[in-house]
Amino acid sequence: MTTYDAIVIGSGITGGWAAKELTEKGLETLVIERGRNVEHRKDYITEHKPNWQFPLRNARLGVGTQSAREYPIQARTGQFHESVKHFFIKDHRNPYVEDKPFTWIQGDQVGGKSLIWGRQVYRWSDLDFEANLRDGHGVDWPIRYADLAPWYSYVERFIGVSGEHLGLAHLPDGEFQPPMEMNAGEKFVKAGLERAFPDRRLTIGRVAILTQAVNGRLPCHYCGPCERGCSTGSYFSSQSSTLPAARATGRLTIVPDSVVHSLIYDAAKNRVTGVRVVDTTTKQTRDYSARLIFLCASTLATTRVLLTSKSPRFPDGLANSSGALGRYLMDHHFVVGANGAIEGLLDRYYQGNRPNGIYIPRFRNLGDDASRRGDYVRGFGYQGGASRQGWTRGGSEAGFGVELKRKLHDPGRWTMGLTGFGECLPRADNQVQLADQTDEFGIPLLRIHCTWGENELAMRKDMAASAAEMLEAAGCQEVQTRDAYEEGELGAEPGLGIHEMGTARMGRDPRTSVLNAHNQAHDVPNLFVTDGACMASSSCVNPSITYMALTARACDYAVGELKRGNL
Amino acid sequence: MSRASISRRQALEQVAILLGGAISAPTVAGVLSKPTRRAWAASPAWAPRTLSPAQLELVATVAEHIIPQTDTPGARAAGVHRFVDTLLSDHYPATERDRFLAGLADVDARAQSAHGQPFRQCSPEQRIALLGEMDARAFASSRGEDGWFFRRLKELTIVGYYTSEFGAMQELHVSPFGAYRGDIPYASVGRAWS
Repeated sequence: MTTYDAIVIGSGITGGWAAKELTEKGLETLVIERGRNVEHRKDYITEHKPNWQFPLRNARLGVGTQSAREYPIQARTGQFHESVKHFFIKDHRNPYVEDKPFTWIQGDQVGGKSLIWGRQVYRWSDLDFEANLRDGHGVDWPIRYADLAPWYSYVERFIGVSGEHLGLAHLPDGEFQPPMEMNAGEKFVKAGLERAFPDRRLTIGRVAILTQAVNGRLPCHYCGPCERGCSTGSYFSSQSSTLPAARATGRLTIVPDSVVHSLIYDAAKNRVTGVRVVDTTTKQTRDYSARLIFLCASTLATTRVLLTSKSPRFPDGLANSSGALGRYLMDHHFVVGANGAIEGLLDRYYQGNRPNGIYIPRFRNLGDDASRRGDYVRGFGYQGGASRQGWTRGGSEAGFGVELKRKLHDPGRWTMGLTGFGECLPRADNQVQLADQTDEFGIPLLRIHCTWGENELAMRKDMAASAAEMLEAAGCQEVQTRDAYEEGELGAEPGLGIHEMGTARMGRDPRTSVLNAHNQAHDVPNLFVTDGACMASSSCVNPSITYMALTARACDYAVGELKRGNL
Repeated sequence: MSRASISRRQALEQVAILLGGAISAPTVAGVLSKPTRRAWAASPAWAPRTLSPAQLELVATVAEHIIPQTDTPGARAAGVHRFVDTLLSDHYPATERDRFLAGLADVDARAQSAHGQPFRQCSPEQRIALLGEMDARAFASSRGEDGWFFRRLKELTIVGYYTSEFGAMQELHVSPFGAYRGDIPYASVGRAWS
């Protein structure tokens, strides 16, 4: 058995960060990845490839199409296109049981979903960290914004974040590079909206895409589809950023094609001593040992590892003396909002494919009377953008021939869309358990039960209505609301936000939570969980940067404890 | 205030667009390589896999009426009919493929009943009149099931054309790499980005 100082399970957003931090602090570190290796630049096989070089012209590969045959679950997300198919998992390699529709989107490669993530990054605030305490849903977070603020700065300086300073207490500013520019339509809506609602702001998205060079990574060249991989390293991914830093220490080893079967637990020492993996090619098992283990496999994969790691001491899953493991699953609910048209501005246009949109920070339930809602707790923000209609509009109107071709030669009118991302409450009955079946690697499947509750559904009504109200107040025409949710159907089901979180939550009390304030298992001191599984509530902002900050902070603590002889 | 709300189906269709994936055209800088051009042009060995030669020709003929050659190439030169055959062969579920083929047969049936001959044998004026009827019905306010085929063929023609090299690079143009300029005069650009 090969021995390391530390083992990191997963190489995505948090695994890459753990690898960087632990190796830079002097630990010989092994990163275990279930998927294949993906090398920066070389394996971005569709980067800058024009549409006509794809047989299906980079079609969206929807559920039921022949091209999505091996991807019946992955095909549910609008992100699943011909050009990025190879960065999503083939579903037979990660089967699970759905009680109600729950969409589990996974990468299956070194870098994980960091290659295809949405790149929007927003700090949490104490509005979020105190939310559970204030309204009684979930358990209190064991940390506050002040604990994480320096780590947000640390992460932002390394990954590179472009954005605008707003001075909002509930959406703290960070270490920003110059923001990307808004287009004329967005400027129009911003002006009208902020005039009609002086307490609301419309800003350019805060995004982990460079507008200035950092560590040899170049500013964005605005080709558009980041998710194909970026040879200039202009967006943050494990490949462009954390793994090279870890590799530079000489202390990093990565083993791809190795899915974790279970963690090895020594009851006498009360420590995890190693990891058992299954080689996905040969199906043979292999063990690795280490003094410190970081679980960064992604929310549900991490919890699955803990649940399958049973022992006499932990018959219900490792580090699960609380019984909280697997419970309090959350996601952001979305695919709800409004669209409108903008009259005029036909002499304005843009150049370049900006891989970013606009953001409207939360304005409900901020703690004051003016923003308080009686019908739901917590809140939501909007992502969106304006653009001039392109040639696709030709497919939805009458007319053909020379006249149609001439019409499509020019861009159409401006339209503006807003999509809400809403906070989801932590509820015990949204949970994952082990099913009776096992997968091709002999690992028990997860059974996932997750639904939106009354609070989310009440919030959605406001998310649609407020979007329409703001667009109308801003001067948009023909405003229409939309909501893709229907109970028991696909369209806006849990998981689709790909912000799944919870199921091994942090908390102050070992009787009701799995992890302490340092992402350390209450029950097993040398076991840390720093991916989305650790979340005790969900906020309404995109979660990845918070996972990164928590990971860096936990690594700092863990290495300190190791040096103090406490692990 | 009562407010219009689009159907759930429309909302689903909008998802991909809102998330920035569906219509963002990838861009290419500079001149295309020879291998690219070769890959695009129909090789002599190319043959349809789902459409019969007659059906292929029918698709090409209708597509060329939808996006005709002007001072730039039209749908036929851009190979829209080959794109349609690829979609039918490799992408569409069987039920949708059969529905499309039935719609294609219906075009000839309409031509037969109106003019006593298949669509391709009709005069250009007769064809345009037939397509005009289908187009009007397909985009009438009450969009009926019988308009499905023409809506679909028109969509495929437009997608096939504007994602082709001719459509994306000659008729329209691709945004160059480099800077993002969010608010510039349209006159400085002159035509839509593909």
